[in-house]
Amino acid sequence: MQRFMIFLLCITGTYFSSAQNGDSAWFRNNYTKVEKYIPMRDGVKLFTTFYIPNDQSEKHPFLMVRTPYSCYPYGENSFANYWTSFRFAYIKENYIMVTQDVRGRYMSEGKFEDVRPFIKDKKTSKDIDEASDTWDTVDWMLKNINNNNGQVGVVGTSYPGFYATEAALSGHPAIKAVSPQAPVTDWFIGDDFHHKGVFFAMDGFFFYSSFGKPHPIPTKDYGEGYTPTIKDNYAFFLKAGALKNLSAMIGDSIAFWHELMKHPNYDAWWKARNARNGIFNVKPAMLWVGGLFDAEDCWGAWNSYKACESQSPQTNSRIVMGPWYHGQWSREGSFLGNVRFGSNTSAYYQQQIEIPFFNYYLKNKGNVDAISEANIFFSGENKWKTFSSWPPASVQNKILILEDKNHLRFADDKSSKIKPEKNTGNSFYEYTSDPAHPVPYTEGVQTDRTREYMTDDQRFASSRTDVLSFEMDELSKDLTLAGPVIADLVTSISTTDADFVVKLIDVFPDTFNYSNNEVGNGKEYPMGGYQMLVRAEIMRGKFRNSFERPETFIPGKPYHVKFELPDVAHTFKKGHRLMIQVQSSWFPLADRNPQQFMNIYEANDADFIKSDVRIHHAESNQTTFILPVMP
Amino acid sequence: MKQFISCLLLCCSLSVVAQNDNNFVKEHFIKMDTMIPMRDGIKLYTIIYMPKDNSVTYPFLMERTPYSSAPYGDTNYSKRIGPNPTLMKEKYIFVYQDVRGRYMSEGVNLEVTPYIASKKSKKDVDESSDTYDTVDWLLKNIKNNNGRVGLYGISYPGFYATASLPGAHPAIRAVSPQAPISDEFAGDDVNHNGAFFLMDNFNFMNYFGKDRKGPVKDYGAQVFSFNTKDMYDFFLRLGPVKNTQSEKYFNNKSTIWNEYLQHDTYDEYWKSRNIRNHLKNITIPTLVVGGWFDAEDLFGALKTYQTIEKGSPKNNNFLVMGPWTHGAWESKEWKQFATHDFESNTSKYFQDSLEASFFNYYLKDKGSFSASEATVFETGSNKWTSYPSWPPANVVQTEFYLNDHQKISTNKETTGFDEYVSDPNKPVPYTNGFYGSRNNDYMAEDQRFASMRPDVLSYETEELSEDLTLTGEITAELQVSITGTDADFIVKLIDVLPQNEPNFKNAPRGFQMAGYQRLVRAEVMRGKFRNSLEKPEAFLPGVVTQVKFNLNDVAHTFKKGHKLMIQVQSSWFPLVDRNPQQFMYIAAAEAHDFKKATIRLYHDAEHKSKITLPIQKK
Repeated sequence: MQRFMIFLLCITGTYFSSAQNGDSAWFRNNYTKVEKYIPMRDGVKLFTTFYIPNDQSEKHPFLMVRTPYSCYPYGENSFANYWTSFRFAYIKENYIMVTQDVRGRYMSEGKFEDVRPFIKDKKTSKDIDEASDTWDTVDWMLKNINNNNGQVGVVGTSYPGFYATEAALSGHPAIKAVSPQAPVTDWFIGDDFHHKGVFFAMDGFFFYSSFGKPHPIPTKDYGEGYTPTIKDNYAFFLKAGALKNLSAMIGDSIAFWHELMKHPNYDAWWKARNARNGIFNVKPAMLWVGGLFDAEDCWGAWNSYKACESQSPQTNSRIVMGPWYHGQWSREGSFLGNVRFGSNTSAYYQQQIEIPFFNYYLKNKGNVDAISEANIFFSGENKWKTFSSWPPASVQNKILILEDKNHLRFADDKSSKIKPEKNTGNSFYEYTSDPAHPVPYTEGVQTDRTREYMTDDQRFASSRTDVLSFEMDELSKDLTLAGPVIADLVTSISTTDADFVVKLIDVFPDTFNYSNNEVGNGKEYPMGGYQMLVRAEIMRGKFRNSFERPETFIPGKPYHVKFELPDVAHTFKKGHRLMIQVQSSWFPLADRNPQQFMNIYEANDADFIKSDVRIHHAESNQTTFILPVMP
Repeated sequence: MKQFISCLLLCCSLSVVAQNDNNFVKEHFIKMDTMIPMRDGIKLYTIIYMPKDNSVTYPFLMERTPYSSAPYGDTNYSKRIGPNPTLMKEKYIFVYQDVRGRYMSEGVNLEVTPYIASKKSKKDVDESSDTYDTVDWLLKNIKNNNGRVGLYGISYPGFYATASLPGAHPAIRAVSPQAPISDEFAGDDVNHNGAFFLMDNFNFMNYFGKDRKGPVKDYGAQVFSFNTKDMYDFFLRLGPVKNTQSEKYFNNKSTIWNEYLQHDTYDEYWKSRNIRNHLKNITIPTLVVGGWFDAEDLFGALKTYQTIEKGSPKNNNFLVMGPWTHGAWESKEWKQFATHDFESNTSKYFQDSLEASFFNYYLKDKGSFSASEATVFETGSNKWTSYPSWPPANVVQTEFYLNDHQKISTNKETTGFDEYVSDPNKPVPYTNGFYGSRNNDYMAEDQRFASMRPDVLSYETEELSEDLTLTGEITAELQVSITGTDADFIVKLIDVLPQNEPNFKNAPRGFQMAGYQRLVRAEVMRGKFRNSLEKPEAFLPGVVTQVKFNLNDVAHTFKKGHKLMIQVQSSWFPLVDRNPQQFMYIAAAEAHDFKKATIRLYHDAEHKSKITLPIQKK
């Protein structure tokens, strides 16, 4: 999580590392930095930084980032290190670069509210939200910053991605192009701190221990977060035990943490914090960007785009999804962890998509003909593909059946070499899920949550007694998936609640090796038999029918636990195998389920008990998976 | 991690190569290859390096080996001879002999040749008689000898060194069995407490277990070809041990492999091969050498020393135990192992101060040999310590009780039990990561990969308020019940490093020294042998049963601020073959015989599971 913070503070990454000195000098010589407090409609002033080109030969557009992470560095003589980022291209194009501390953060006045709810019908000047703050800011800068061309773009990654979405919802006519990137969208259903109602305790705890510190008056420095005494986050969170104990450790001052603890279900409070609420009648051109392997906001990127498609169909909206960790599109994009992508996918995005997008909509320069509705990188075959809709219209949802011998088969596949035995009434796989020994989300001893876990080898999990691995036959031809995967588990448990993690895995052939001309992380790793995580998701069993109203399990009784994994864009190559793993913990990424039906946020250490989990595959209780297969 | 460590090792091994030593042997020795006849007429191929300098007489220093005494031929000189460079320069008549039935020697080789106590005819031959006959021939036929013979050898040759002791030729005046095989059912190489060391033996016998028709310089291709980058995966896919006899693998072509699978209890086959039964009234000075990180014959070194001590209390019997893997004491430099840094060159110290002095003194009357009874490297504190006896007398056997909440302490007030499901199809790995051969580091590896598993129980002390030094053997006494009729029990002694332990510079992702759970000692007991290795007994499902066994000696200091941890698990794969968890002849088990079992470890008021630790008095 520290990495996450650092990344955001740096604005962007380090793709352009050459000629830094020259670029930084050029920036200083050709730009002027101005810091302003901009008054909002309710009188609160927001701290805003402008980097303005000295060039007067033409009028220039604005490109704005609104952030809760500070518009560091402060001081009109201190220039942000844009030259380390591909976004230096905008400076070379003489954009007016704007960064604003959002309301209540760092040097801005007012009260901060996390993922501030969008107010649809604003009645008075007191009805403010992030959209209105954006409107007021844009309005002010059009009038007060000289030599602007009247066109505004907004961009932002992660939390700033949320502010970009909100900016698009402001409806200000000068905002022509917005690119929410890995936008925080719904913190209960799929982004950052919860997935399907399961609390992502590790990220939440470390993030909020610093981000959530109260700063009633503007400040340039929020200070350090919690420093764990145990440098092994698995051991740290296991020893910490119940969430209650973490609440005590984080302290009373972290208000949002304690707010979270009051909302264990998808109640009105959470629903108000769903960024999709306002995605109607969106006017600017939209470029939604996300990473297929983004541990934080992969869900948000896919689902904000989808909300825009369904709720605001007239919007000029596009999506780009690459094989990236959170924000990797601003950095080196040839590999993630041990998995290689065959080309610098980030450079492709930067040069072929984002820069042309803003140049076209804000400067009327060039064209965007080459940017399709959906521009999606398919890992596995390592190719960019473009589509006129997402998921592609040609996708067929095919049912994958779980059989005996840990075998998976397409329901319509008669050719499978392995013939299922006649399933008896109670055919099942079983494991004991022990909250005292949860399944690790990654291998090794980690201090920080890794971003590589999203493509990591799952062999460490396969050898565990509490992880089930199911495999298809070796593929006789490529199998391409494009869209969300649905798991429809039929399960019975010996207790009253349990979590279900479903992992979609590409098993590489035993002889697999990357070629030397594919850029990788430089570390030797045995890729033969590699079990590449393609997509994983967790479901808290009690939410199987409703996130609003959790329901208990009756021990021993089979239930369907059906849930959607975020969209996949991956080709399982001929000779590979498709594997699905099922397990009941994913620690310390996800908090542990006490495996008893209760309010987990109030559970005590003694409430965490073992549960025997069965995954059924009898004809009458058939566990299936639905895969979005490209013909 | 592997790359990281092997890099350390590589640095060690490259540093001391001295170019000008390459011609030393040729310049100073004359080589002779000869066939020496034994009493039964069988001739053994023997290579003799005789010092050119005839101004003094020399003792013989001999290694008898099943691994070939190559290079063969009078004009082909080895670049290095003798146990270490110091002794080579000291000059002895160095003798190498292919043992009976191996390589260029005639006759039939037997696995760890049984000793014949009362030899009735010239046909009753064993390693003792072959050594005797060889020594006899050497004294008579090699000029310029001083009438004394020394023997040494590591591992299998260590066994041949030991085997020279009973009924020894009187000219044998000094013997150094080093990591000697002593008992392949109880604790060395092949089985530990009856549990079969599958991976090591499968690999080793693929080479060593190849039968021959007559003398050969080269055994040629291995029994079968196989290659994997992931031993765990390979053996899991291979399935039951019986599948090792499939057409692809041994296919019944290896006599020894057949014997291994056939003899699944401590029967006559194994008992007759236990050389310890014959180490009585030894009068030849012995220097027994072993390594704390020896995955093969740690047991053999400790037990050979102990048996000689018991059966021949007056003998000049010495023990050296260093921080070594199998044979690492003969390397040029040994300062590090796994994440250990020993802070000195432990192998050089051994070679010069112990090994060379021992042979020089007893074979040449040169200098003195002032080593204590036991010279032992203490891991954890990284220092050599000398003791007048081993194990040291100043030890208090202290019982530590396993308890609820993953605690272990001297407090006898315990409650409850812990349980886990042991699934032979998901065995606990012996090491973390992918290895195409045994990961030597496993004996000092971080056990956190195991702690995280639901089928491994961990018990930890509080942080130690002062240093805690263990010297000697450890006893585990588990009270268990199982749902099957057999199960394995692995007990691991672990040193948990504190959170302020600095990490290695440039440590790879996932590597962290803070909280490192460093393995100090581990042992397996195949449950059915809990009362007798000869007569296995089934468990009664659900009935509380005692499983008591020893872990090999340690000399280790748990530093102040560290914690002592015990782990218990029921598989250790593929180091050890999988137990089907049914009482049966495991080598005949089919895939479907391997059953999940629930293992319960008790620590309630009536059934206390405990670990007895040999704690040094302050």
